[in-house]
Amino acid sequence: MIPGDAGYAASDNQSLTSSNDINPSRLNKHQYTLSLLNEAQRIGLLSHQEVYSIQYKLMVILQDLIRRYTQGKSSSVATDTAESILTSILYAVDADLLNFEHPNQAITYLKTSDVVKLYERGVERVSQCLEEVKSLYKEVKQHKLDVPVAAYNTTIDESLPLFIKKYNILFEAHNTMASIDYPLAMDNMRLQGVFYMKHYLERLQLENEFCSRFNPKALIHIMESFGRLHRFDYRIELFNIFELCLHNSLFSILSGGDADQVQISAHQFERLERMLSQSDARGIEKMIHTSLKRLQYALQIHDPQTVDYMNQCSRELIGRILNAAKHDNLQSVIITDRPEKIKPVVMSIHTSNRMSDVRLRQLLDEVIRSETKEEKIRLIKSNFSSLHDYLDLLESDCLYGDEYEALYASFGDVELAILSKIVFYEELRGGDTELRTIVFQKKRAEFDWQVHLIEFMKRLSPSRVHTIEQLIDSICYEDIKFN
Amino acid sequence: MLLSRFLNSMSIATQMPYVTELLSLNERTMAYNLQLTPRDIQDLMTARTQVLYSYGRVELGIEATKELIEVFSTSPYICQENYLSTLNELHEIFYYLKNETEDKIGDFKLIAMMKEYFDDECAGSLKLLRNNLEEFAENFRIQTMRQEYLKEGDDES
Repeated sequence: MIPGDAGYAASDNQSLTSSNDINPSRLNKHQYTLSLLNEAQRIGLLSHQEVYSIQYKLMVILQDLIRRYTQGKSSSVATDTAESILTSILYAVDADLLNFEHPNQAITYLKTSDVVKLYERGVERVSQCLEEVKSLYKEVKQHKLDVPVAAYNTTIDESLPLFIKKYNILFEAHNTMASIDYPLAMDNMRLQGVFYMKHYLERLQLENEFCSRFNPKALIHIMESFGRLHRFDYRIELFNIFELCLHNSLFSILSGGDADQVQISAHQFERLERMLSQSDARGIEKMIHTSLKRLQYALQIHDPQTVDYMNQCSRELIGRILNAAKHDNLQSVIITDRPEKIKPVVMSIHTSNRMSDVRLRQLLDEVIRSETKEEKIRLIKSNFSSLHDYLDLLESDCLYGDEYEALYASFGDVELAILSKIVFYEELRGGDTELRTIVFQKKRAEFDWQVHLIEFMKRLSPSRVHTIEQLIDSICYEDIKFN
Repeated sequence: MLLSRFLNSMSIATQMPYVTELLSLNERTMAYNLQLTPRDIQDLMTARTQVLYSYGRVELGIEATKELIEVFSTSPYICQENYLSTLNELHEIFYYLKNETEDKIGDFKLIAMMKEYFDDECAGSLKLLRNNLEEFAENFRIQTMRQEYLKEGDDES
């Protein structure tokens, strides 16, 4: 079809005479029609003239759609727009041609039938798929898990309805046009448009259904432990709930617990660590495989799609266990109960009880008008207590230069730990690096107060930074409201 | 990209049938002593393809070309000697303007406006026409932005 297409030129002579059957492995499922035409011409199933004729008919469809796109007001469009509309046409044609059992049947159909009808049938298939997406979405929304995970909630409550509302079958059928933040355990990102959305929703539904078999409180508990392990706020992170749930339920079975349990005690962890670190790859594979069967049996999971999905996800788990066992780091794969540490007795920075905007403005004015830094610090310390108010104060540019440092010097370790947790959030994620190293490595910060905090922290003694680091670990992210 | 090559090869290949269609316009333009030979039409279409390519646009029909010919053939400033070169220049100005006004003005309206400028303020000068329309496009964009801004404000309130 397109002269000199290098992608298929290399082995032309070898395969020309071998067969008139199209080899499906040479076709690209995501640009099916184009690759089908290329391959059919290469093996002589379609003549150059026949390919041209099919392309011409596609161009007539494009011409018509351009007119409809511009509402008859313009006969030309930007190349990007034309390409997008053509991609949309081919998306619909692909939707129909992919239904033929063998590519040769699709070619016969292309040769003998009306391309416009083929396209219209494709549009109908896309439209049907959109209807399926709508009803799948209702199911997902109805069985949504009650978890405070922002990406999960935003995806279900905002992104998916937006997709359904905005999806354009004629001009942008290939476009997924929604920011789906919540990651699936196993995704197929090569799919596009409404077919991707159907795939996404089917898997999300399956994941939800699995997770809903477990105690909701226990689920949240392992997410909290997961966040504490990696020193991040699980509510704002991108991770898959099903994966956590599946893995921990497998570990529960493996360590003598129940199938519907996801919490792993320290005692269970010790047992798992002994078992897994003493086994080779085949042994671990066998253990996970057996646990998976037991889990499916105990939870009465017989649906082939769910069983297959669980099997696929567990294969990935085996690789992660092997790697973690090799590096003596199984605690990164097995999420154990990490009880909330004892909170410090006195916290002068509270996470709630904000003052009113009017009061805040008055105080900020007073701070600005104060002549000495001692006076400013006194005013702040006697009036500010909420973390939000402190952040508003710090970001309001009321303080200059060494005034920041004077304020930090007046803080105890707890206050410094809370502010450090905000400033070094990204660096603390993962939990492998010491705070002192993080402080010295941090070069940039968004706000002035953060730059001064970094400088202040650099001057603290190593033992004080260590104390602050321990406090950071004892502060619950769940208690700090960032918004 | 496979798709853009496909698009280019097809838009060039589909130009052939247009020669007859454009030749038939001579019947009307003859009233103004203007006509295009098959060779002129081929040159015109080649120049148009280049302009479309350079402005990053795709046109699968020739409606705009036909409209430019029909509308501008009545201008007192176009004669047989400058007919082809003027048409080429008008195509360039037209597609330039389509991009600059972000496709917000329909073909016929835009061509009618070009003709009005050409015959009145520009007195047949293509250079003046280009200058005037550049200024028009700039004002149009500012006005559109302002309207969109106000609309956003309305939506929010």
